[in-house]
Amino acid sequence: MKKISLLSFFMLATIGTLSAQEVAYEEYDLDNGMHVILHQDNGAPVVSTSVMYHVGAKDEDPQKTGFAHFFEHLLFEGTKNIERGEWFKIVSANGGSNNANTTQDRTFYYETFPSNNLKLGLWLESERLLHPVINQIGVDTQKEVVQEERRLRYDNSPYGRWREQMFINLFKKHPYRWQTIGSLEHLASATLEDFQKFNKIYYVPNNAVLVVAGDIDIPETKKMIQDYFGPIPRGAEIQRNTFVEDPLNGPIKASYNDSNIQIPLFMMGYRTPAQTEKDAYVLDMISTYLSDGKSSKLYKKLVDEKKMALQVFAFNGSQEDYGSYIVGGLPVGDNTLEDIKKEIEEEIVKVQSELISEKDYQKLQNKFENNFVNSNSSIQGIANSLARYYMLYDDTDLINSEIDIYRSITREDIKEVASKYLTPSNRVELEYLPEQKEAN
Amino acid sequence: MKKLFLFSMLSLFFATSFAQVDRTKQPEPGPAPEINLQEPVTFSLKNGLKVMVVENHKLPRVSIQLTLDNPPVLEGEKAGVQSLAGSLMGNGSKSISKDDFNEEVDFLGARLNFGATSAFASSLSKYFPRILELMADAALNPNFTQEEFEKEKAKLITGLKTQENDVSAIASRVQSALAYGKNHPRGEFTTEQTVNNVSLLDVENFYRDYFVPANAYLVVIGDIEFDQVKELVTKNFTPWTKAVPPSLSYSEPKDAQYTQINFVDMPNAVQSEISVQNLVDLKMKDEDYLDALIANRILGGGAQARLFLNLREDKGYTYGSYSGIGDNKFGPSTFRATASVRNMVTDSSVVELLKEIDKISSEPVTSEELANAKAKYVGNFVMALERPQTIANYALNIETEGLPKDFYKTYLERINAVSIDDVQNASKKYFSSSNARVVVTGKGSEVLGNLENVKLNGKAVPVLYYDKIAEKAEKPNYDTAVPEGITATSVLEKYIEVIGGKAKLDAVESYAMLAEAEMQGMKLELEMKKTSKEQFMQDVRVMGNSMQKQVIDGDKGYMMAQGQRKDLSEEELKKLKEESAAFPELNYLIAGGITLEGAEAVGDKKAYKLKITDEKTVFYDVETGLKLQEVNNIEAGGQQMQQTLSYDDYKEVSGIKFPFKLVQTMGPQKFDFIVKEIKVNDGVNAADFE
Repeated sequence: MKKISLLSFFMLATIGTLSAQEVAYEEYDLDNGMHVILHQDNGAPVVSTSVMYHVGAKDEDPQKTGFAHFFEHLLFEGTKNIERGEWFKIVSANGGSNNANTTQDRTFYYETFPSNNLKLGLWLESERLLHPVINQIGVDTQKEVVQEERRLRYDNSPYGRWREQMFINLFKKHPYRWQTIGSLEHLASATLEDFQKFNKIYYVPNNAVLVVAGDIDIPETKKMIQDYFGPIPRGAEIQRNTFVEDPLNGPIKASYNDSNIQIPLFMMGYRTPAQTEKDAYVLDMISTYLSDGKSSKLYKKLVDEKKMALQVFAFNGSQEDYGSYIVGGLPVGDNTLEDIKKEIEEEIVKVQSELISEKDYQKLQNKFENNFVNSNSSIQGIANSLARYYMLYDDTDLINSEIDIYRSITREDIKEVASKYLTPSNRVELEYLPEQKEAN
Repeated sequence: MKKLFLFSMLSLFFATSFAQVDRTKQPEPGPAPEINLQEPVTFSLKNGLKVMVVENHKLPRVSIQLTLDNPPVLEGEKAGVQSLAGSLMGNGSKSISKDDFNEEVDFLGARLNFGATSAFASSLSKYFPRILELMADAALNPNFTQEEFEKEKAKLITGLKTQENDVSAIASRVQSALAYGKNHPRGEFTTEQTVNNVSLLDVENFYRDYFVPANAYLVVIGDIEFDQVKELVTKNFTPWTKAVPPSLSYSEPKDAQYTQINFVDMPNAVQSEISVQNLVDLKMKDEDYLDALIANRILGGGAQARLFLNLREDKGYTYGSYSGIGDNKFGPSTFRATASVRNMVTDSSVVELLKEIDKISSEPVTSEELANAKAKYVGNFVMALERPQTIANYALNIETEGLPKDFYKTYLERINAVSIDDVQNASKKYFSSSNARVVVTGKGSEVLGNLENVKLNGKAVPVLYYDKIAEKAEKPNYDTAVPEGITATSVLEKYIEVIGGKAKLDAVESYAMLAEAEMQGMKLELEMKKTSKEQFMQDVRVMGNSMQKQVIDGDKGYMMAQGQRKDLSEEELKKLKEESAAFPELNYLIAGGITLEGAEAVGDKKAYKLKITDEKTVFYDVETGLKLQEVNNIEAGGQQMQQTLSYDDYKEVSGIKFPFKLVQTMGPQKFDFIVKEIKVNDGVNAADFE
């Protein structure tokens, strides 16, 4: 049902608007179910080989969190044909660069090389999928690394746990309630067999999209892809669970004490629809309207004019099943968290009750168009977008047409969507506070 | 039957030949890729403006670059006029105010910047007509006003002032002045005096003479149609009056006749800036241009190159050492091998730099070095190609440098064709160890002794002296003679005596100080409290918010920076305690081990120099006995930094003289603290050290 309405919406949107952006691509499936997207751009002799796997933190067993992200580390340890520790050396000795990242929804690996090393990139990625070496030494090493990462980025970092604190309150049933880094206890107690099992379920060609982008010859590239990825056996069908949240019945009040901070932080989080819904796009615009840049409403009022806040922010976190809209600020001087809340609410109520000005609307359109255009300015950026649109939106063509969705948003939509989602009953109010002084 | 058999044979054959790639072997790279660079379509206006258009419809955006390929201009006694012209451009036009202009560019989500002889804009392609119009209007009808002129002039002078004691800024201007001569556009430099010679009229004249279309190129890249570009550019740029910039001649620079050290004395230097340099006559169209680039990369082109491996990795003399070679179609350019090194190793570093230059010219490089240099070059070249501006620059270079049309298409091929012999020939031709000028900018009192003994191939390298404006100077005279009978102890005792005497200092149980400084228009407060019971508190506040706080109470202490609290380790505690004593001189006397290093000038006063520790030196006025300056050597990010604290304006409080002006400098940063209040045995209580 959802799909149909979305589709018809797209068709409507494309009528009459000549899509100015032309990222040409070709897509097909290998026999083993791996999806392949090719984008040829011979403008620069750069080639990127990227693989996105449809596995993220939300696919984890609630008792074994952190696995998806752990794999992002583990799968650089080596393969049957690549010695442990050799991966990075091979990449740099051939003039390339590489990296990987994990979200709640997917895991992404990529290399960028001068285009005469396309075969090397394909070999590396096919080895990762076909022959990963998952052994005790690799697991032990990466457990250390991930623990360090958690300490650095979450536990010892000022405001490092706001996400965790917000999401355990925003979600009760959905795995979005935990973070990609996961629990150190879960990782510590996980066995080698646990990891091997996870690999067998999710690291299969029928759960992956390969994007080869850049200075390529299409027939030759197809042949190479067949050579390196064709022989990889298909995996079992993946069983996924669906999680439907009950209404939040807020406002939910929460607080957390962080020993790393001195200035408190107030934030409100709203639960929003899946990223494929038009409303999610509208919320993107609302967050830009409120806090992106020095002329945005919240910044101008709270930081510039009233000098009540050190910083304000609003962002719309789009995800596959549900999204979140977060807005907040850090008070300055004698201003309280309550003062900040009042000011932010006032602006939200304005968006809900009045249409934004024509000029602000046009500026928003210009900003989104600029962002959209520039997000596709590098080969690696395009590869990431193609994989994401295919895997998480089920519509690769969004690379060219997503802007039409933003264009179709009216001032009335902005008002309506703000009224629909940004309500007190649909939010968590988090007071993120410094550690309280111990009584001694 | 037979047919079927054949068919299955065939398919079997197919399947086997198809499936097998040898996965156990790492794939070899293919042949170097050819660059598929689009060629621009060009046209010219009657006034001489040449326009290049590269249609690229991949993304709905456009970039516009205006470049004036004029010969360099000798600004002479009005040096700075060019820079001022550049900052005054782009502030609106005769018909659009500055504010309206900037707001419109923002609204469009566009960018638009100007230089003295250039302009750059980028925007969504649908705003191309408007952004081009704004660019042309601002370029052809600049909005020069006296008000903006004064503002920019003040900014420029402030910038120059902050450079006066900046060793690396002085070093770089002297290096260029000595390479090209001060009467050469590339050797002259801007000073406060020359800026003051410039009037708004000079800026207008400069604009009128040089901002002309004879050598102008406009490069438009992006999602635009050639016909539209032609129409709009013609419309907007035809009013640009046809003119040729004045052509001036200037002195021909010459290399040093023999290798020599040119020394510039900077008494505040903690590091020496070394540049081994010679002139090169290298143009992009030269046959051996790429050979020269590769040779330079092997010698000093990055963290894998010889200079870095030798001076940093092997010897640890410096955080980094590099070399660079320039090309210029208008005249000579330079080759420079540089390093910023600790004072102690200045002479050794000069020797190593010269040795490396000598070696690469006299011995062939290894094939591994050559292969790595090429791989690095190829990688960088390839990555850069993704940016539209790179493509614009290439099109422009082909035109302005007189390069063959396929210069960039065959670039990688030609890089890969560079041989070991080519590298050696280029090294011999472009790097010189026999006519090199070794410009050393550093602290003479510490480095000159050894520098005078530097030998190259057994022959002494003469040292010539220059001042901060690259004029010949006398050898600096470091008169460190200290009168008979003066010792470290006597200097310390005199200081204690003149500020109030031991008895009064001993009676101080606590004191509190509050001082203020300005930082970019914000008020910076420094509060400090000390007691005789090993208690210390220092709090630095910006606009009332604590930025950095240190507290010591006996055996415990902590540090707080931007909200993060950290307990002090035993070692840090010990160090801070030494620093934080109410009157450290009392402790110096007890501890001993202080050495009198001589007498030196501090500002316009003569002072005794006492070395307290390897990191700390303190200067006491020869005349008055008061403490003038404290110098601390700090290591930050692998670099030696020097922090100087100067004391001035001594006033008496409760019978003790305290400085009421504290000036702290570290690198380019300088804070003038004015003391607002000092209390002795008052205003401090135990809660201050919690």
